Amino acid sequence: MAQELKGNNDVIVIGGGVNGLVAAAYLAKAGRKVLLLEKKDALGGIAVTEEFFPGSKFSSLVDGAGYFAPAVASDLKLHQHGLEIVPVDTIVYSLQPSGQNLLITQDVSATVEEIAKFSAEDARAYPKFVELLGKISAVVAGIMHMTPPDLPEIGWENLLNLRPLIKPVRKIGRVDFAEVLRVMPMPVADLLNEWFESEIVKGAIAASALLNTSLGPQEAGTGYNFLFNWAGSNNGFFRSSGNIVGGMGALSEALVNAAKKLGVELRSNSPIDKILVSNGIASGVELSSGDQYSAKAVVSATDLHTTFMKLVDPYYLDQTFVRHLENIKYRGTTARVHYVLTELPGFRAVNGEAQKLISGHLQISPTITYLQQAYDPVKYGRYSEDPYLDIFIPTLSDPSLSSDGAQLMSVTVKFMPYHLQDGKWDSTRDDLARLVTNKITEYAPGFEKLVKHQKVITPLDLERDYDLPEGNLTHGEMTLDQFMWMRPIPGYGQYRAPIKNLYLCSAATHPGGGITGINGKNAAREILKG
Amino acid sequence: MNKDFDVIVVGGGHNGLTTAAYLAKAGKKVLVLERRYLVGGAAVSEEIYPGFIYTVCSYVVSLLRPEVIQELELYKHGLHLLPTDSGFIPMENGDYLARYPDHARSLDEIRRHSLRDADVHDEFDNMLYEIAFAVKPILGYTPPNLTNPGLSGTQTLNRFRKHLQSLGKEKFHWFTKIMTMSVYDFLSEWFESDVLISSISLNGIIGTMLGIKSPGTAYVLLHHYMGELDGAYSAWASQKGGTGGVSEAIASAARSYGSEIRVNAPVKQVIVKNGRAIGVALENGDELYADIVVSGADPYVTFRKLVDEKDLPTELVESIDNFKFRGSSGKVNLSLDALPDFPAMKDKSLMQGGIYICPSTDFMEQAYDDAKYDDFSKRPFLECVIPTAVDPSMAPPGKHVMSIFVQWASYNMPKYGDRDQQREAFGNAVLDTLAEFCPNIKDLILHQQVLTPWDIEDSIGLTQGNIFGGELTLDQLFFFRPAIGWADYKTPIRNYYQCGSGTHPGGGITGGPGRLAALRILKDGA
Repeated sequence: MAQELKGNNDVIVIGGGVNGLVAAAYLAKAGRKVLLLEKKDALGGIAVTEEFFPGSKFSSLVDGAGYFAPAVASDLKLHQHGLEIVPVDTIVYSLQPSGQNLLITQDVSATVEEIAKFSAEDARAYPKFVELLGKISAVVAGIMHMTPPDLPEIGWENLLNLRPLIKPVRKIGRVDFAEVLRVMPMPVADLLNEWFESEIVKGAIAASALLNTSLGPQEAGTGYNFLFNWAGSNNGFFRSSGNIVGGMGALSEALVNAAKKLGVELRSNSPIDKILVSNGIASGVELSSGDQYSAKAVVSATDLHTTFMKLVDPYYLDQTFVRHLENIKYRGTTARVHYVLTELPGFRAVNGEAQKLISGHLQISPTITYLQQAYDPVKYGRYSEDPYLDIFIPTLSDPSLSSDGAQLMSVTVKFMPYHLQDGKWDSTRDDLARLVTNKITEYAPGFEKLVKHQKVITPLDLERDYDLPEGNLTHGEMTLDQFMWMRPIPGYGQYRAPIKNLYLCSAATHPGGGITGINGKNAAREILKG
Repeated sequence: MNKDFDVIVVGGGHNGLTTAAYLAKAGKKVLVLERRYLVGGAAVSEEIYPGFIYTVCSYVVSLLRPEVIQELELYKHGLHLLPTDSGFIPMENGDYLARYPDHARSLDEIRRHSLRDADVHDEFDNMLYEIAFAVKPILGYTPPNLTNPGLSGTQTLNRFRKHLQSLGKEKFHWFTKIMTMSVYDFLSEWFESDVLISSISLNGIIGTMLGIKSPGTAYVLLHHYMGELDGAYSAWASQKGGTGGVSEAIASAARSYGSEIRVNAPVKQVIVKNGRAIGVALENGDELYADIVVSGADPYVTFRKLVDEKDLPTELVESIDNFKFRGSSGKVNLSLDALPDFPAMKDKSLMQGGIYICPSTDFMEQAYDDAKYDDFSKRPFLECVIPTAVDPSMAPPGKHVMSIFVQWASYNMPKYGDRDQQREAFGNAVLDTLAEFCPNIKDLILHQQVLTPWDIEDSIGLTQGNIFGGELTLDQLFFFRPAIGWADYKTPIRNYYQCGSGTHPGGGITGGPGRLAALRILKDGA
């Protein structure tokens, strides 16, 4: 190695997605000299706003206010760096074929009245449900902010890691804590069956718990995803509401500004060829350009396959590790369709008031059985003709996204399997667009005539264009066997790689995806421990 | 009030009998009351048609706890297990996968389907053996009360923790995986041959309304695998003369220790006075008094039928109402004029083992998907056993009986009309599916008995026909079984205990719950 290593960095961060930026900012804030290297031109990873059509800007992959942790936003003073969230009262507006839609807002008593249209029993149960689940999800918030213990070892180090749990667990007491343990491995459908009888109510509440998974509501572990959303929503309800001004990319911009201000050196267009290891210790990186940079620690914000199958010499990995690595389940099932519309669609509503109510998340998940049936075909490598659609019209709360007054609409489409049995996604793209347009038209007559432009992002596009293995937005399924001490690799849940001074901070680590920024924060804490 | 007995056990299923035997052995004066004309619950053999003995429900024995066999000296009382360790899986393309008693021959057979799978098979078996071995002691723990563990609960939790730590990381990680994954995903980490995965995966879905791709089913595989560790017969076995013989052996042991067993004695209610169980009222109006009453029934019957709601805390009533039964299994029992012919079966000795209709993983998953929306599988998974191929005494000379276990059927299947019509449609689907692989089956049938989940409920008394006394899902295991705070065989009613499969360690002919309940009762100083 004749070449001289450049720089005297304390830490090099590989990848400028949200978690890379967060980790870099926290490390710089703690006084470390940090260099962040991003392969692409733009920073932000999957939190990007893109102008797919001139004058029309879209949150490419994720809508709304997301699940970004308020603790991280305030630690990094993101609101001073341009992050602005418009509150939206609506949690979910669940569209029904009959037009008798279900509106769930932050106003519990108004929601009770809405639910009463479908079931008086459910209306009675709802306030108690919100209270109990809100209470127990606080424990999940604690879980998200902790470094997972390296079970089955329970040394001092591991016990100290559990600190974020102490307060919430003490607060809810043993009885409710036992309830957390029971609910986490449950299917969300079973949980809701214990509270509600109306298929419509259950369909409205369960749906968002599936956005980050490849599973239907009857599958075990979706209960955890449900609590995860609740804990991360920051509004006391089961899914986040609100809208980031400027789209998801504005979150990344605020992070970039904060990181710069804290002294992080950010370089885009800097793809990395390998992580340098000397004497079993990570010592820096080599760029595709051939330049090498040294650092006392390297933290990878990219997915695990890129990190360990492309950037690291396999010599340093043992057989068990590689076996677990190869067995990480990705299997993305998300597609996106973006529309530029000539005017707002006319969603059917019996009271004619739909237009007033569509500024939040609109769901085509009319019943919980519909959701399960939308999932079933995935198991055979097919997609449903009746998908679950999660629709957002960002221009209603942020007109600045469209320069010519057109309305924009983004749709998350579930469940679209990356592994398609008959055919390839590139030849299926138009079918997908047609399917989604037709489905929306069922709920908004005449919708298809309003479409000026459309942009389809298939699971394969997610892999190719956004570096997400198998199109999985969370760098690995959010399933029970890939949580906590099992995430990203069993025994490596503490943000450390098997190579000394190499750390991990992508969504592949605990607590998983969802653009929370918590992975970056937790990883920075571990790196600072040394 | 004069007491008639020290202990009255409600329900003469195999766990009730086990509790009775242990308590009688400890010197208690015990009475078992069974609703039906014979003991055994779901583990019974009945001569439904003259000369043909059916293992009506449970049809294989593999999980019976070795300590129960030993402590109750069951071999002396007639336990006689015949190994059934071969397996035959016909495929849709006319090929098959077979498992033989001879290990090397089985490996050769796997090699025919995949070289790689044959290479890793022993490593997989070894891994599963080690996890099963590691988890097994937990089956012998009385689950602590999480909400108020007390001294003994804390001790158990500590034992539990130390035990898990003693596994070391690698085994612990496998343990976590098997507790949380779908059986399909778990097996796919090891094997590539679809029919091999399908044939092993079936152990993950028996008795649950879950498919092989549903998370949580890998544990059910482990639950079944644990039986393959014990005793002289290290694999699946059937009882000579039918499964009822196992119950008879336990009943005989109980009697030998002085326990009385009454059949045709349905209990109407447990008599509770001042929050304490003091006896039982029978359907015929008789009342019998005892210090202790133990229910061998499932949690729904134990808490919602035998006692009054007002004697229970609201949380427990809610928990029991939420406890998932969702019976998903059916049974078809046949009298046959001759041995059936499976054209794909070259070695006819395979007739003596299990014959599994699970030709592919898609077949299995589709069978589940068909049934989960209030229906039955159009092409169900079938596990066929021909006991007369091993034990000719169960049918007249030259004739045979065939036991067909069926997954999946829902408890409610309204679209087929009334229950008779539902049963007929379901029975037809089973025979049509079997006929795809065994074309002459319909010509050989002399008699047939079809049981849907609600037939199992009606005849055996299992709520919604769940054969495990409640599903073995993650949220219903160990300290959640059957409810948080009440997993230690006690109930909120003093001197009223539970000992059925709805308690830890769960369903199957294990004797585990029965034994642990007896130990709890003795520890409480009865």
